[in-house]
Amino acid sequence: MDNSGQFQQTTASEPDVISVSQLNRAIKQTLESEYPMVWVKGEVSNFTAHRSGHWYFSLKDDSSQVMAVMFKGHNARLKFKPDTGTEVLVRARLAVYEPRGNYQIVCELMEPVGAGALQKQFEQLKAKLAAEGLFAANRKQSLPAFPKKVAVVTSPTGAAIRDILNVLKRRNNGIEVHVFPCRVQGDSAAKEITKQVRLACEIGDYDVMIVGRGGGSMEDLWCFNDEALARVISESAIPVVSAVGHEIDFTICDFVSDVRAPTPSAAAEIITGDTGDLGLKLNELKKRMWRAWNLGINNQKQKLSQLRRLLGDPSKGLERYAQKLDDLSWRLESLMRAGLELRSRNLKEARLRLVSPEVNIRRQKDKLENTKQLLDKSMNQYLKNKEKDLISVLDIYQPVNKIVEAKRTELEKKMLQLHGLSPLNILERGYSITKKEGSPLVSTDGLKSGDSLEIKLHTGEIQARVEELR
Amino acid sequence: MSFEKKILKLEEIVSQMEKGDLPLEKALKSFEEGVTLSRECSKELEEAEQKVKLLIGMDANGEAKTENFEVKE
Repeated sequence: MDNSGQFQQTTASEPDVISVSQLNRAIKQTLESEYPMVWVKGEVSNFTAHRSGHWYFSLKDDSSQVMAVMFKGHNARLKFKPDTGTEVLVRARLAVYEPRGNYQIVCELMEPVGAGALQKQFEQLKAKLAAEGLFAANRKQSLPAFPKKVAVVTSPTGAAIRDILNVLKRRNNGIEVHVFPCRVQGDSAAKEITKQVRLACEIGDYDVMIVGRGGGSMEDLWCFNDEALARVISESAIPVVSAVGHEIDFTICDFVSDVRAPTPSAAAEIITGDTGDLGLKLNELKKRMWRAWNLGINNQKQKLSQLRRLLGDPSKGLERYAQKLDDLSWRLESLMRAGLELRSRNLKEARLRLVSPEVNIRRQKDKLENTKQLLDKSMNQYLKNKEKDLISVLDIYQPVNKIVEAKRTELEKKMLQLHGLSPLNILERGYSITKKEGSPLVSTDGLKSGDSLEIKLHTGEIQARVEELR
Repeated sequence: MSFEKKILKLEEIVSQMEKGDLPLEKALKSFEEGVTLSRECSKELEEAEQKVKLLIGMDANGEAKTENFEVKE
């Protein structure tokens, strides 16, 4: 109220002079009260979704544009997200920023107005190529399990190549990368991309090709919605992975490629997908190998200890054997000792038996003597009996005996006569016989002093020695 | 043998070992082979250097003409 009062006071006498602040404040009041709510139709341009969640963009038509903002509290309720090129109808209020003297519209509601021109073009191309079968599943080539050489068609200075190389480095450093440089936004981008994809196909020495760029507005990504590019990609003998913008961005390039990756990093992950992170994989395999080895060894150990249990404690077994061995050796020893004793006994007995022949001879001699005595006795008896028999026989022949007696007496007489002629009879009369070595001596011939002589007398013999020969 | 084939072979060996029905002698052989392979792979990984080239055209033989490429951070 004070301000307006001051304003009115000065109008009467002098030209109206006000400060910049006063002007801006006045405009702010006028505009904001005059246009508390407007409906504006236009195409979204320079769209930026700020980290804070607020959207900043311009609304434009053929000749004008106005700055616009849609705060988080309002845009969060929308079911769509506009982008540069999107034609929209917004409900907004005017807001003047006093310090700078500019104004913007603060959108509270937003609706899409049909599809934007670009969007229409996109849908038309997509429909056309789909009808030709360029997106058909049976045209899709599968990716090699272990790519060794990769072509990357992208800007050499963009975020995409950096992301791709980082992922590849981490996951499989052995892959060789050829960067096919091209612009990825602007008027000539589509032609450059197409040319580089074609060049990669002509060189042909690649296992897989990545075509893409990092995130941007729909206009930025527009070069990937090019028909010529789509046809080159669809005819590529090299499997193509499309990696354009972010997850939410879809381009014709995505549809026609063999694989669509949501981002360039994801593309790098996809082409190394089968092997994954080889370093990690290797480590995991090493761990698994050691685990399996230890497990295997433990199993074998368990088996062994089971067998051991079945066998019993081997040391006890040994002890048992040792005992048995001792036992056996004792027995062997005692057997040997017994054997020796037996032998020595036998030997002694044998020796005893060896001594006994003398005894035997004596025994046999005794036996013989006994037998002889018995024989003598029985012989005598027998003879006596015979004699008796004979006597009795003789008795029978008594007369004959008398004759025999007579004859015997006569015989005795004759024998006495003969007896006087015997040398023995001569000895009776003092003669003697001298013998040397049993032969009677008749002369001293052959005798020498000291010779032994026997001298036989009538009764007895003399052992004599020659003293002197005469 | 390429690195990837070695990894595949190693995986095969490990899977077989994990079944646990290998006789001790064979298990030992597999284990030795596995250790050798994993050592070789580790070495290759350590030695591998990322090879990145910038393509500048194609020569008369249809081969890629390249120059060294480094990402500008």
